[in-house]
Order: sequence, then structure tokens, then C-alpha cells
Amino acid sequence: MERERRTIAVWLCVWGLLASGTAGEQAQAQRPMSLQAEELPVEEQPGIVPDPDEERLPAAYQRQLVFFRTAEPPGTIIVSTSERFLYLVQGNNRALRYGIGVGRDGFQWSGLLRISRKSEWPDWIPPPEMIDRQPYLPRYMAGGPGNPLGARALYLGNTVYRIHGTNQPQTIGHAVSSGCFRLVNGDVMDLYDRVPVGTKVVVRQSPEL
Amino acid sequence: MPIDLPNPSLAALPSAAGRTRLSLPIRQPRARSRWSFRDRLLAWASLLLALASALVVASLAAAQTLTAVRERGALVCGVSHGLLGFSSVDDKGNWSGFDVDLCRAVAAAIFNDAGKVRFVPLDAAARFAALKSGDVDVLSRNSTWTMSRETTFGLVFAAVTYYDGQGFLVRKALNVESALELDGKSFCLQTGTTGELNVADYFRANNMTYSAVELASLDEILTAYDGGRCDVFATDVSQLHAERLKLAKPEEHVILPDVISKEPLGPVVRQGDDQWFTIVKWTHFAMVNAEELGVSSKTIERAMQSEKPEVKRLVGTAGNFGEQAGLASDWAARIVRLVGNYGEVFERNIGTKSPLGIPRGLNHLWTMGGIQYAPPIR
Repeated sequence: MERERRTIAVWLCVWGLLASGTAGEQAQAQRPMSLQAEELPVEEQPGIVPDPDEERLPAAYQRQLVFFRTAEPPGTIIVSTSERFLYLVQGNNRALRYGIGVGRDGFQWSGLLRISRKSEWPDWIPPPEMIDRQPYLPRYMAGGPGNPLGARALYLGNTVYRIHGTNQPQTIGHAVSSGCFRLVNGDVMDLYDRVPVGTKVVVRQSPEL
Repeated sequence: MPIDLPNPSLAALPSAAGRTRLSLPIRQPRARSRWSFRDRLLAWASLLLALASALVVASLAAAQTLTAVRERGALVCGVSHGLLGFSSVDDKGNWSGFDVDLCRAVAAAIFNDAGKVRFVPLDAAARFAALKSGDVDVLSRNSTWTMSRETTFGLVFAAVTYYDGQGFLVRKALNVESALELDGKSFCLQTGTTGELNVADYFRANNMTYSAVELASLDEILTAYDGGRCDVFATDVSQLHAERLKLAKPEEHVILPDVISKEPLGPVVRQGDDQWFTIVKWTHFAMVNAEELGVSSKTIERAMQSEKPEVKRLVGTAGNFGEQAGLASDWAARIVRLVGNYGEVFERNIGTKSPLGIPRGLNHLWTMGGIQYAPPIR
């Protein structure tokens, strides 16, 4: 039952991304050209388990405590898509900063959301669009190492947006074709343990021209 | 939003004064009170003459540097001999870095060519004299803005392009997240520097104690720290990031987010040339405003078509802000297109896209947790 509910939720998430087609396309048309141009052309690679060396990010994208003034209370997550950073506000002018990869859907929306659900090792159901592009993809993949959604997922409100892990650490710091906000598995597990359901998530986009 | 227009009375003054002066010899008054009238006329004439020449002199002085740069066909920019990320020259003589890019941006605004800069490497002792004597048009050489540097050298800092300050490098294994947790630790410090005083002040103010390992040079300090002779390496944060790269295992060390002193770095110009001062200052402000508005070297062509008033005023499709500063209307667009906005310049030279990987910190935009804040263009 639990597994089924989880599967349905993932379906909803994935389908949500597709069903929002019209609105999504409109939003995409407004999306800064630079982000489309800079998008890292990587396909999902289910089954690939990155080795620890690959999961070690360049210094700038490693999890670190940084100076960060904000009026948001400690515990708030601030996602800055143009910078490819996620900040967890600590108070005392500090934030814990994580390097992220931003998927196409991550650039669609800005504002305030709350974490509505947390999930360990989420299952993956590639959307039909992705199957068309990569017909050899499995139709379903149970959560675990090698799963493109990575080790943890944090669902945002009742939207399709989520913060998740990845089995492709090289995508951190880039705009990528699929997903929302991705962290390396070590980071998403760290973040998962620090934030409860109900946590405020502020998503900030580069201003529109 | 009010748009500032040039003051018509001020703008009209020089030419009006000139005309009056020219017409003077023709007017030969025939009135009885000839002498007195002539006296009055002379008084008026000399007053107008003085006023006109004062204005002419003032405007000449104000335009000196810009005119000289234009006539020379290149900006002369004083930089550091070599400072990782801030200014360095490759074996082909190409300069790059955060301080270098400020000068390239000024050249882009004037010439629409970021390459029209002659870089003059200056050591710390010679830098202010070189600017004062006119050897360079602008000094962009990681110089800290202090009161005495403006008052004793007759110079003026145009902006703060980088907020630096003293910070702390420690081993991750020490498991410390804040400078306030450094009580009782041993510090490697450079003898006779302000850094030494800053640490003493900070620890006294926070009722903490420390032991000092005092060494003469940065290299000795680095070796001592890496060898475990002290727990903490304290100097300016920008320098800590560069020094960390030289450690045996950089990833085992962390730079704390605390900054305990003020070292605001920025470009310097001579006092008395307000037009030039304004151009250098607004070059930095244009880059900060561009980042805030989402205008980058990658989005500049779309920004030229933007309908947003703030963007239009920045890129010059509305208003004549560039002309008022003695530049072209698209001055800021040239800067962003050829050099980039503030964030691009930061990340490319010293941030995430550079080996230094310095977090924006205080140098983030005011809207993003930092204190970089530019007055608006309007």
C-alpha cells in the first residue's frame, strides 16, 4: 500500500510536469534564452552508480557555511536558480550553501512554497516524452542507488516541484534538461535530515528582462 | 519616476556669457554719465569675463582625464604585479582578473572596445604616487579605501568593488563553525601587520584568549599552519582562499564565514576631475545594476529590446544618461556586452568559475544576502 501510494505520487509528479504542457510551454517561452543555451545535454542514466570520486564536487559547489544576510528565519530554504545554489538559513548572518543542478522545470516558478512530503529513495517512472527520446529506458525503476532521482526527495506544496538527489553528480552547477532542483546524494541526505515537513522554501529566479 | 534633466540655466550660462562679452566693444554708450556708465559696464564685463573663464576653466579641468584618454586612444590602468584572480598577465601579455576587468569596463564604456587599456603594474609603495602624478588614469589595484589615503594623497576612491576583511582558515577536523568558538586556539600571524591588531581587538572584545605564532612572511605562515604549528591562519579572506590552494590537502580546510575587519577595495582616481570620478564610479554601479536587473553578457541583446523602464535606462534605449556623463547613450550596454555584469566578473575571476571559488558573501547583491548596492540610473 505504501509502495503503491508512493508510486502514484511519483506518477502524479511526472505527469504533472507533462500535463502542465500548455502553461509549461508559455513559461518556457519566457525563460531566459541563456538558460536554454547553457543547458547541459545529458540524458538520464538509470543504473549508473557514481563512485565517491565523482560525487566529490568542485570546491565552490561543496556544501559550506557562508555569510548570508536575510530577513528569512533560520530553517528557511532559499533556492537561487541563477547561481545554482540552495541556501539553508542558519541565523546569525549565515547559511549552509549547497550546489545544485537546475532542471527545466526548476526555472518555471518563483515564490514561496512549503515542503509537503519527504521521501527516501523515491521510485522513478520516466515520462513518455523521455521514453520517446531514450526508448531503452525502463518504464519503472524502484528507488535505490543508480536511480536518477537519487537518495531523497522533498516535495514542494502541491506543485510538481521538488528537491531531489541524482546519480549524475557532474550535473551540479548546471542547467539540465530534466527534473527540478537536484543535489548530490550526500547533500540531499544531509538536507533531508535538517528540514522537517512544513519548511518554507523560497525559489528565486533571475529577473525577467 | 522623476527623470533628471540637465539644468537649463546652468547649461546656457557659458555661451550667454560669451556672447555678452563679444558684444561689449561695439556698445559705445553716449550718455552724460559716460564714465560712470563705462565703469559699471567694465565692472559687469569683468564680472562676466571672470564668470565665463571660471566656467571654461572648470569644465576644462573636469574633462581633462576623459579627453586625454580619448586623444591617447587608450586608458592607462594601474594594477597589481600579480595577484591570483585579481590581476595577472599571461606569457602573451594578456591581462585578466577582477581588478583588470574594472578597467576593461571603463574602456568599453568610452571606446566600445574593452581592449583599449594599457596596464601598468605597480607595487604597493608606488601606486598612489603613480596615480597622483598622472602616470595612470585610474588605479585598480586591490587598494583599501581609508580616509587618510584620500586626504593625504589628494585621491578619491570611486566605489567599493570588493568588500574584503580579515577571516580565519581552520582545519575541518577542528569542527568549528564560528570565530567565537576559537577561544584558546593558536594563531599563525604575520608580524607587524594590521591583521595582528585585528585579532587582538576581536579576542579582547569577545573575552577570549589565544596564543600567537608570529612569523615574518606569508610563506612561513603557510608552512607553519600546514605543518600543524598553529590551529588558525588569519588574514584577509580573499588571500585565505588563494593560500588554501597551496596547502597539501586544501579540501581538509575551511574558511569561516566570519569577517572581523573592514578592507573595502576599489578603484581610485585623482581629486578634482569630477567627470572622470563619475565615469569610474558609475561603471561599477552599471555592472551591479545590470546583475540586479538580470542583464548579462548573454542576455544583453534581449535587454536592448526590453520594455522595462529600468532596463531601458540602463542599456540606453531610454533617456540620455550616458551623454550627460560625457559618454555614449549605450555606455552601460557596452560594458555588459564586452565585460559582463558584476556577478559574471566576480564568478569568472574569483568565484565559482575560478580556482579560488570565493563565495559572494558580503559581495552579494543587497537583495541576495550581501551589501553590494548601486544607486539607480534615473
